[in-house]
Amino acid sequence: MLLALQSCSVVKEYEKVALSDPDMVLSPRSVERFKTSFHAYRESASGAVGGKTGGGCGCN
Amino acid sequence: MNCHKPKFIKKYSLVLLLLFVVGIGYAQEAPQPYKKKVLEKIEIEFLSSYYVQEGENAAVSGGIGDEHLTDITPTFVVSVPLNEDDVLTIDAGISAYTSASSSNINPFDGKNPANPFQASSGASSGDVWAGLNANYSHSSDDRNKIWTGKLSAATEYDYFSIGFGGSYTRLFNEKNTEISVNTTIFLDTWKLIYPIELRNFNSGEDEDDFNINRYTITGNPNYNPQFTEFNDKKRNSYALGASFSQILSKKLQGLISIDVVKQEGLLSMPFQRVYFSDVADSFIEEFHLADDVERLPDIRNKLALGANLNYYINEFLVLRTHYRYYTDDWGIDSHTAKIELPVKIGHGFTVYPSYRYYTQTQANYFAPYNEHLSTEKYYTSDYDLSDFNANQYGIGVNYTDIFTNFHIWKFGMKSIDLEYTRYDRNTSFNANIFAVSFKFVQD
Repeated sequence: MLLALQSCSVVKEYEKVALSDPDMVLSPRSVERFKTSFHAYRESASGAVGGKTGGGCGCN
Repeated sequence: MNCHKPKFIKKYSLVLLLLFVVGIGYAQEAPQPYKKKVLEKIEIEFLSSYYVQEGENAAVSGGIGDEHLTDITPTFVVSVPLNEDDVLTIDAGISAYTSASSSNINPFDGKNPANPFQASSGASSGDVWAGLNANYSHSSDDRNKIWTGKLSAATEYDYFSIGFGGSYTRLFNEKNTEISVNTTIFLDTWKLIYPIELRNFNSGEDEDDFNINRYTITGNPNYNPQFTEFNDKKRNSYALGASFSQILSKKLQGLISIDVVKQEGLLSMPFQRVYFSDVADSFIEEFHLADDVERLPDIRNKLALGANLNYYINEFLVLRTHYRYYTDDWGIDSHTAKIELPVKIGHGFTVYPSYRYYTQTQANYFAPYNEHLSTEKYYTSDYDLSDFNANQYGIGVNYTDIFTNFHIWKFGMKSIDLEYTRYDRNTSFNANIFAVSFKFVQD
């Protein structure tokens, strides 16, 4: 879908005021790292969120 | 007059010579167009969290027992601009935890009758995990290409992990489109810790001074588990990921990503007990003695597909959404959906209410307490591999001071984040997480 839409228009640098808002960032906020780590331990699914996808024990 | 002429010429000749030398110097250093630094100043972020969980399905005691756990995680992240293009980031932290279920690796501490719902006070009741990551990134002059390399190491009492990886990111279409590929490899080594009653079973003696012959065994008094130790102490993880992000309008942007992970080696937890329904039960005090430990395949392949879509509603409100589908060859399929609605309430404050829903099917090798058969090849009673769904509610507050008025030494405070999250499974499990972050930037 994103590929199909990417050619619709190009947003110029000076038009990116809203897109530059810190809350528009597509990755998780740094303070969310602990939740990502907890999810990797307590849930079987991991990956595709920019977080840990392997390594570490997760034993407890 | 004539006598002054040579002196005049000599003086200006020296000036011309000096200008010529300086001119050559400038000519040798070709004029550089101004480049804004990728990172202007050193940034330091201190983060920490307090995590507490409760539950009654501890994997250490075969699917029943206290899961109470607390964890504190002070962490520092320091980002240093090395020049206009390169940034080095060091991320160092510890995680200090106490765990009721881990304490029952040896439940016979002599203070209380052994019971899976009663924490023991032994050495395994707590541990400290320590981790260090180094990340180096280089950006091209036009900032359309970014390379990163990373190294990591982590250790705790029974585990050591090293990791390395890298990524390449390419922006084009006037920075409207971004494609990134990344890879990470973790090489992990276990120190094998088994449930106390399975260690040196034939000799009856153990380094923790546990001697099963000193106890009265009830139920089946002829306790004789068919237990063999693991041969493999290694666990390797290989991850390959890619993402594609796109600006869709002046207020809308999205990202899709894929992660493929292969794990091999010892994927079982060597201290998690399993009980068989076709083996007579043996007890010491109120504690069911292990029939075996968890046995899982030594290969696991995972695939995760994710999508993010963020929409800038107005100057006060942003909508952030995330969805992920996950599947692996152990039989687990899962869906994750998350929505977050940052609200700017003025004076630099933003509030972050969020909701997340998670659901997964159970692994092929899972069965609850005392329901496995001894004839099975693989078995576990770890409820993290069971069929469940979970609701997560969060609220966070961010304060950003663009003038960095508050100072500590040569650093001004840029932002503070506080966050509380509540997590509820449809089983007995729940968790609370408090997290905080302070970010400082060099003056």
